[in-house]
Amino acid sequence: MTRPIEIAAAGTMLTALVAGLVVPPDAIQGDLQRIMYVHVPSAWLAYLAFAVTLASSIAHLVNRDLKWDRRAGASAEVGVVFTGLALATGMIWGKPVWGVWWTWDARLVLTAAMFFVYLAYLALRRSVDDPVVRGRRTAVFGIVAAVQIPLVHFSVVWWRSLHQPPTVLRPGEPQIDPPLLFALVMGVVAFTILYAALFRRRVELAEVEDALVTGVAVGEAVAGAAVVEPGGGGR
Amino acid sequence: MSLVHQIVVLFRFQLRDEVRTGEVAAVVIPFGAIALLVIPMAIGIETTLLARVGPGLFWAVVLLFGVVVTQRRTASTGQAHHDALTLLGVDPAARFAATALASGVLLLVFEVALGLVTIVLYDPLLTGWAWLGLVLPLVAAGLAMLGTIAGFVADGRGPLAPLLVAPLAIPILLGAAQATEGLVQGAGILRWILMLALVDVLLALAGVLTARPLEGPST
Repeated sequence: MTRPIEIAAAGTMLTALVAGLVVPPDAIQGDLQRIMYVHVPSAWLAYLAFAVTLASSIAHLVNRDLKWDRRAGASAEVGVVFTGLALATGMIWGKPVWGVWWTWDARLVLTAAMFFVYLAYLALRRSVDDPVVRGRRTAVFGIVAAVQIPLVHFSVVWWRSLHQPPTVLRPGEPQIDPPLLFALVMGVVAFTILYAALFRRRVELAEVEDALVTGVAVGEAVAGAAVVEPGGGGR
Repeated sequence: MSLVHQIVVLFRFQLRDEVRTGEVAAVVIPFGAIALLVIPMAIGIETTLLARVGPGLFWAVVLLFGVVVTQRRTASTGQAHHDALTLLGVDPAARFAATALASGVLLLVFEVALGLVTIVLYDPLLTGWAWLGLVLPLVAAGLAMLGTIAGFVADGRGPLAPLLVAPLAIPILLGAAQATEGLVQGAGILRWILMLALVDVLLALAGVLTARPLEGPST
């Protein structure tokens, strides 16, 4: 069944697409710059998704409730997809502008490293069947992996980089014309709502996957549920 | 038994294991040396080029093969041993510290052995080499702690641990490579030393704080 958030995601994505196509081209890069309306929101979503993974991992370690583990995994999966999209769109833009698909720039290298870190996180999730054991192990890795997020974002500030420094999220006024800023913000809003819709669906799927492994549906009362293993997982 | 005593006992036990099996000395060090030997066959045997890239290749080999050192399988890595330590009341943080300490010592031996191989095969410029007395232990400690955390998380799923460690070890590789490059260029390397030390402190905190949540039955 289609939910309101999914309708909202479709609507804002359409609006962002139209905005990205009708705003004037960039004064220097021309139409090539339009790829930024996908690239920047994808990169933003990567940060958001991995930050949600971090927060959910901490929540899981604190209260051992498996719903937080499922949220961490769902968010990481969506985040990996959008990190891949950010890398791919960056390379497509880089070829005509920089003359190469790939360059050894700090932002690019660390983003690729972050992509592989979370691929490893997903591989770790798949390697453990028992949801309780999986939750404990992946929560620890989810916390350690998050060190990559500030490294990637601030790499353009800390190292001399070919990648441009922050244009919008910077001290002072954004260095971008209002129509272009509008298209960019629309893209960020649309992608964020899309993330929320995908995240919710993926969490539901994870609940079904866990129910298949444990044989008990999420939220269903279990005989002897009042007696639990010390430090064991919740539902 | 105090925490320090637990760490010392487990640390000695793990080193004794390595003395008996000789996995690092007889397998991993020769494996790393072979890697340093075959790389010039792939990139060319021009001596000036090899002298230039030698330190960087050394660190890349240390990172990739160092994972093997931290994931070595011995009698003290099985589930039965782990269960026995839990029943004896050994603090999980002590288990982390002892494993990381033992891996750190073995990694330091690994680095020194491969460093000598690099000097012989690549003939790099050895300006300010005394600083390596600080860089090598910092890198060994960082890799050891990262490998120990990954080993606990992967829990014996062999091929997974290198995938967990390698991308997360990039700050260590960057710090080590930039420090060595700084020595060759005659530039200051204090900030890279501090970066390596900071990474080590963060990993030590992460390892100690997450040791207890990682305890429990595995599948």
